[in-house]
Amino acid sequence: MKILVCIKQIPDMASKFKPNAANTWFTETDLAFRMNEYDEYAVEEAIKLKEKQGADPSDLVVLSVGPARVVEALKKALAMGCDRGVHIHDDESNLKDPWQIASLIAAYAKKENFDIIFTGMQSQDRGSGQVGVTLAGDLGCSCVTTAINFSLEAGVVTAKRELEGGAKGVVKLKLPAVVTCQLGLNTPRYPTLPNIMKARKKEIAVLKAAELSAEGPRAVTEKFYHPVKKGTGLVLEGEPAALAVKVLELIKEKTTVLRG
Amino acid sequence: MKTLLVFEYRRGKLTEANLELFSFAAALGAQTAGVLIGAETLLPAYPGKLYLGDIVKCKDYNPEVHADIIMQAAQKEDPDYIVFIHSSYGWDLAPRVAARLKAAQVSEITGVSEGKFETGCCNGKMRRLVRPATTKAVLTIQEGAFCFTGEAEGTPAVEKLEPSADGAGLEFAGYEEPEKREVDLAKAEVIVSAGRGIGKKENVPAIAELAKSLKGELGASRPVVDAGWVDHNRQVGATGQIVSPKLYVACGISGAIQHLTGMRNSEFIVAVNKDKEAPISEVADVMVIADVMPFVAALTEKLKQ
Amino acid sequence: MNFELTEEQKIIQATAREFAEKELAPAAADLDRGGDRKIFLGNLAKLAELGFMGLGIKADYGGAEAGSVALSLAITEIARACASTAVTLAVNNLVAEIIQAAGSEDQKKKYLRDICSGAYPAASLALTEPCAGSDSAAVAVTAVRDGEEWVLNGSKIFITSAPYAGVFAVFALTDKTALKGKGISCFLVEAGAKGLTIGKEEHKMGQRASATNELSFDNCRIPADALLGKLNSGFTSAAEGLAGGRINIGSLALGIGLAAMDYAAAYSAERAQFGKKISSFEAIQWMIADSYTELEAARLLLMSAAAKRETGKSHMKEAAMGKMFATEAANRACYNAVQILGGYGYTDQYPVERYARDARVTTIYEGTNEIQRLIIAREILKSI
Repeated sequence: MKILVCIKQIPDMASKFKPNAANTWFTETDLAFRMNEYDEYAVEEAIKLKEKQGADPSDLVVLSVGPARVVEALKKALAMGCDRGVHIHDDESNLKDPWQIASLIAAYAKKENFDIIFTGMQSQDRGSGQVGVTLAGDLGCSCVTTAINFSLEAGVVTAKRELEGGAKGVVKLKLPAVVTCQLGLNTPRYPTLPNIMKARKKEIAVLKAAELSAEGPRAVTEKFYHPVKKGTGLVLEGEPAALAVKVLELIKEKTTVLRG
Repeated sequence: MKTLLVFEYRRGKLTEANLELFSFAAALGAQTAGVLIGAETLLPAYPGKLYLGDIVKCKDYNPEVHADIIMQAAQKEDPDYIVFIHSSYGWDLAPRVAARLKAAQVSEITGVSEGKFETGCCNGKMRRLVRPATTKAVLTIQEGAFCFTGEAEGTPAVEKLEPSADGAGLEFAGYEEPEKREVDLAKAEVIVSAGRGIGKKENVPAIAELAKSLKGELGASRPVVDAGWVDHNRQVGATGQIVSPKLYVACGISGAIQHLTGMRNSEFIVAVNKDKEAPISEVADVMVIADVMPFVAALTEKLKQ
Repeated sequence: MNFELTEEQKIIQATAREFAEKELAPAAADLDRGGDRKIFLGNLAKLAELGFMGLGIKADYGGAEAGSVALSLAITEIARACASTAVTLAVNNLVAEIIQAAGSEDQKKKYLRDICSGAYPAASLALTEPCAGSDSAAVAVTAVRDGEEWVLNGSKIFITSAPYAGVFAVFALTDKTALKGKGISCFLVEAGAKGLTIGKEEHKMGQRASATNELSFDNCRIPADALLGKLNSGFTSAAEGLAGGRINIGSLALGIGLAAMDYAAAYSAERAQFGKKISSFEAIQWMIADSYTELEAARLLLMSAAAKRETGKSHMKEAAMGKMFATEAANRACYNAVQILGGYGYTDQYPVERYARDARVTTIYEGTNEIQRLIIAREILKSI
């Protein structure tokens, strides 16, 4: 079985973001990067599937599009248990739209004939939630999004999609298929140190983005900025006891919950 | 300018968020037509054209068949924009339609300005203004960003569409009910919710204690529920319960959009957080910048006095 | 000159940080106040599963073979969240490295695997005695050969991890007639050995989740092959390992210092007095500037010592410098952190008082800083 998992490296979301010079995305100076949280679930699910194959030899490839720094995320995925890595080297991946990113991945994946492709349902930084579905369309395979449960029996994927209000939609897909993963699908493992060291020997093939796809953007980011403060909310700072007194006064003044 | 609004029908109901599509179209100043894969007996109220696919013939929710119906409507209507709610329906379907149209897609739109669309990013901390580079565009709008205030009325002119695709690669196998809820947060007047910022499971009782002191219920954000600190039936947010109490106290909740969707209509919101820039500040009436647990302890004590 | 970590080192650092934030930090304050030791031991077991108990140990013996730099990085990250866990991890790695350096093939196979895998909840180093502290060559525990056995008598004090250690590296006097320090040997004593008693647990100022006990040997009989390394060469066998131990304790202190200053700096940006954020006052800014500068200098010293150790270069002086400087910088950082938080910093509602207590012992154990200065001076002067 050939399995692909697509991951993105994103900044720590607790960071402060500053627009770049062109005001089209954030500047990367001073940011610490890590694997997109949704993709960690995708990697875990892919590894679990590989482990279930038992004697049947499987090939689990982890792929990321981006500048040189994404190798760290690829190595983490390799340390978690992926077999080999593919780095689509693109120094300007952050300026590309989801269509262009999906086209790059599709250009590679078309040649490889993967049985199943996992990815996160969205990235924490861009949050478009488009790449997985668009990739499936490009490859002509079926796709389920927001999976919180996954199984594969006799060539048929059964996935549960998370819907609003806590209900789930059950979907069955034939292979080849793309599965986009929601938080809670599994418990992503920590890579063990021996595996981190062994992952050094695993291959990471580098492909140049420009040689894979020359698709232009379908959507262009014109501006990247801090949101205008909508809330006229009061900001209170100070020590716990004093804050508690103030908050209690406000609750009494603005709501009726403590009356009667 | 023309829009084609894609209404969502699930399990015999039109979702409430559908109305926001009208507000969005109004914000664009666009003519509206709609497309619904649902039932003839339950139609959205508006005085325009409605393309209707049958939910049974479309195999309940087979996204490939739904996309096919929407494409048929799009060919007939030739809209500039095809608009979805950014829901489990919209984010699943919109990219399939965009791919077929070779059109731009902009996800989770929060605002409109001269043919450009504002959308959140970086966990709600930043915004992007996006311009479609194609003549048509597929859009998904953030639930709650375009509140509908008017009265929905009118009867659409229905044109029925038959599916031309079989969506053979995929089979929709039905719904699973949400787990039974012991707690109906929707009825609570006060909710005190715990987020990842409370640090550990052992701090949950202190949050519950504060809720009790305010005669309210304990709620929780998704990460706290995923971590098993609080039971799922207390989850507030898009995939949990939608609440609108008189007082909502968010303890250590940064405010992912899925959570904000579930509580933004609360009458009075107090958020306790260390990060002044946390997205919850957008909806909070009072933002308390403090370590969560010492503040919670102090407030509980004051309430007991 | 290259200041960049390798990808593997970065991933190990990130894994340690994530584990520390998710698993250790939430429990650290409770454990400090006498919380359930099972939780503490459970975390050690998880760290062993991930490979943190044998970072510098060869893969053949179950180690991660990740090197001294990665070990230093990991200990710093663990110590940011829980110094008690960090010291246990540091001692385990120290004992493992001593066994790897001096042990026979049988000893390595037998003990390294169990330390690395977590089959032993911890490993312990038994050197200090009531009358042999900084004067470690004054060891008075005796080991006398009797047929195919050694017989140990005497007592040890301040032994980290004693109640749950699976194996102890015990230093004992084997030649009373030799010059001071030249008649000491090292033995591997398994927990439960007859005649070995774990004494009372000390009530410490800091690092309270980790146990520190007396050990007493009362005609404790161990097999002849329990001797580690050469007879009467205990200090020589352990010297390399102990130098690594100094880097690790420096790295531990660095983690505590960073945790304290990160907390205090963030606090200063929120706390207002005289109508202004206290971070806008120069007095506070200088404390922040001084402490971060010292901690960064400590980090560079430790990294340089660890890099030398990893590449087989002499690092006796550098390890002592790193230990001495980092532990003192960390104590000053904790002092400043408490000062920045003021009265609140002195209460257990905030973590800085714990950091201050945890940091204090780092200038004392693993060789007091006075001894480190002697080592540094000796290393400098010997080549003049």
